[in-house]
Amino acid sequence: MAKRLLDFRDAAAVAGVGYTPFSKDSGVSTLTLACRAVLAALEDAGLTADDVDGLATHRVGDSAAPSVVGPALGIAAPTWYLDHFGGGSVSHAVVGQAALAVAAGLAETVVCYRAINARSEFRMGTAPNPSPETQYLAPYGYGAPVQQFAMYARTHMLKYGTLPEHFGQVAVRQRSYAAANPRALMRTPITLDDYLGSRPIAEPLRLLDCCLETDGACAVVVTTAERARDLRRPPVLISGAAWGGGDSFLAPGEPTVTAAAALAPRLYGMAGVGPADIDVAELYDCFTYSVIVQLEDYGFCAKGEGGPFAASGEGPPVNTHGGFLSEGYVHGLNHVAEAVSQLRGEAGERQVPGAEVALSTAQPGHILAATSALVLRKG
Amino acid sequence: MSVDRDSAEWWDLVAKGVLAVQRCSSCGLARFPARAFCAACRTEGWSWAAVAPEGLVESWIVSHWRAAAPFTVVRVRLAEAPRCVLYGTWRGEQEPRRGQRVRALFADGPLIEWTA
Repeated sequence: MAKRLLDFRDAAAVAGVGYTPFSKDSGVSTLTLACRAVLAALEDAGLTADDVDGLATHRVGDSAAPSVVGPALGIAAPTWYLDHFGGGSVSHAVVGQAALAVAAGLAETVVCYRAINARSEFRMGTAPNPSPETQYLAPYGYGAPVQQFAMYARTHMLKYGTLPEHFGQVAVRQRSYAAANPRALMRTPITLDDYLGSRPIAEPLRLLDCCLETDGACAVVVTTAERARDLRRPPVLISGAAWGGGDSFLAPGEPTVTAAAALAPRLYGMAGVGPADIDVAELYDCFTYSVIVQLEDYGFCAKGEGGPFAASGEGPPVNTHGGFLSEGYVHGLNHVAEAVSQLRGEAGERQVPGAEVALSTAQPGHILAATSALVLRKG
Repeated sequence: MSVDRDSAEWWDLVAKGVLAVQRCSSCGLARFPARAFCAACRTEGWSWAAVAPEGLVESWIVSHWRAAAPFTVVRVRLAEAPRCVLYGTWRGEQEPRRGQRVRALFADGPLIEWTA
C-alpha cells in the first residue's frame, strides 16, 4: 500500500446542513432544488455563497451539475469541484472527497448537494444506465433496485433463516422515529401486521420494505475543522471517510456479503473507533434488508445474525430520522444531515442522549460496484 | 435493450440455442458476462466454450409489476462454470427451490429462460 501522505482524520468538519421540503412533486427543477438546499446549508453555517470555493454532487444523469449550480448562485470559478457519477453508493464518497479536498487545501468551503425529483421526474431506475450488465437483466423485466435487493434478501433468508418479521421490525421502528421528525413524509405509526399485510412488490420484499421515491434536495457544508469552530453552529468532525470496492450483479461472489465488509475496517481504522463506539448509526435503507446486511458488515453483529439483531433493537439506534423508508429518499445525504443533527444535540424528540460518534453509510455496494461511509464526531 | 459490442456474439449463440461462456486462452478461466479481458490473468485471448445449459438456483424473486401478472426471475449458477451467474425468467408451475437443478430454455428474443 502506498504511504499515506495526508492523515485527514478530524481535519474537516460539517459546518452546516440544509434541506428543501421533501414531497412527491416539488413542481420545480432539480437546479432550483439544488440552489435552495445549498443556500439553506450555507445559512445554517452562517456563510454565504460568496464564501464557497468548492461544489460537489453525485448524479446518474438526473440532476444539476456543479458547473450549472455554481453560476446559478453566482459562485465564480470554484477552485475544486466533483461531479461524481453514481447513485446512493457514492453518496458518502462525495462528502469524504470534499473533506479530503479541504484537508489538502484545495478548497476551504465545499458544499455537497444532491437534488432529485425522484418521484415526479426521474423515477428510480429510469435514468439511462450505461452498465454493460443491463443487457443481461432488462430483457427479463429485471433490474429495478427493489428486484435486485429482493434477490439478495431471499439469499439471506435461505442461508441464514432471516424472516419477514425481521425486515418488518426495521420498518416499524423507523416509522416510530419518523413520527418525531417534522420533515418526514410518512409519520403515521405502523405495526408488524401492517407490514406483513402490505402488498408484495418483488417478493420477498413488500411495499413497506421500500424507501420513498422522493422529490427534494439536501446539502452539507464542509470546511476545515479550525474554521468550523468559529462558525454559527457546533462543528461536527469528519473523523473517518472511506469509499471504494464493490461487486456487480453478475459477479460470482457471495451475495450476502456487501462491499461494506471490506470497507468497514478502513473506515473504523481511520477514525480510530470500532462498532462499540458508535452511538447512532444512519444506515443506507433503500430497503429494510440493506439495514440488516449492514449491521453485519459494519460489525455490529455476526454474519447471518442481522435479522434477529435488527428486530431486537440491539446495538445503536438506527435511522433516527425515519430513514429513507419514512423520512424521504434523496439518495444518501439526508443520512449525513441527520447524523449531524444528532451530534449537535438538535434532534428534538428523537435525540439520542449523549450522542458523540455517528456512523453514516451509503448503499452497500450491490449496485454500481462501490460503497462509501463516514464516521462523524461531535467537535 | 441494446446489446453491446462485447456481448453481441454471445446473444447470436443464444439465438442458435447455444449457451456459451468465454474460456481464457491463457489461464483457462471460464467467465461471464462477455469481456475482452480475463480478470484473473489480464490477457485478451479467449474463445467461446459451449457449456451444458444447466445450473443451480441460487435465489429468486416474484415481481409484481404494475398491471402485469406476477412473474418470477431466478438467479442461476451454471453447473459446468460455477463462477458464472445468469438471471432469467422462471418457467415452472411450482416456485423454485434453493439449490434446485434447472435447465435453460432458449426462447424467442433471444432470451434464456429456466425450468425444472
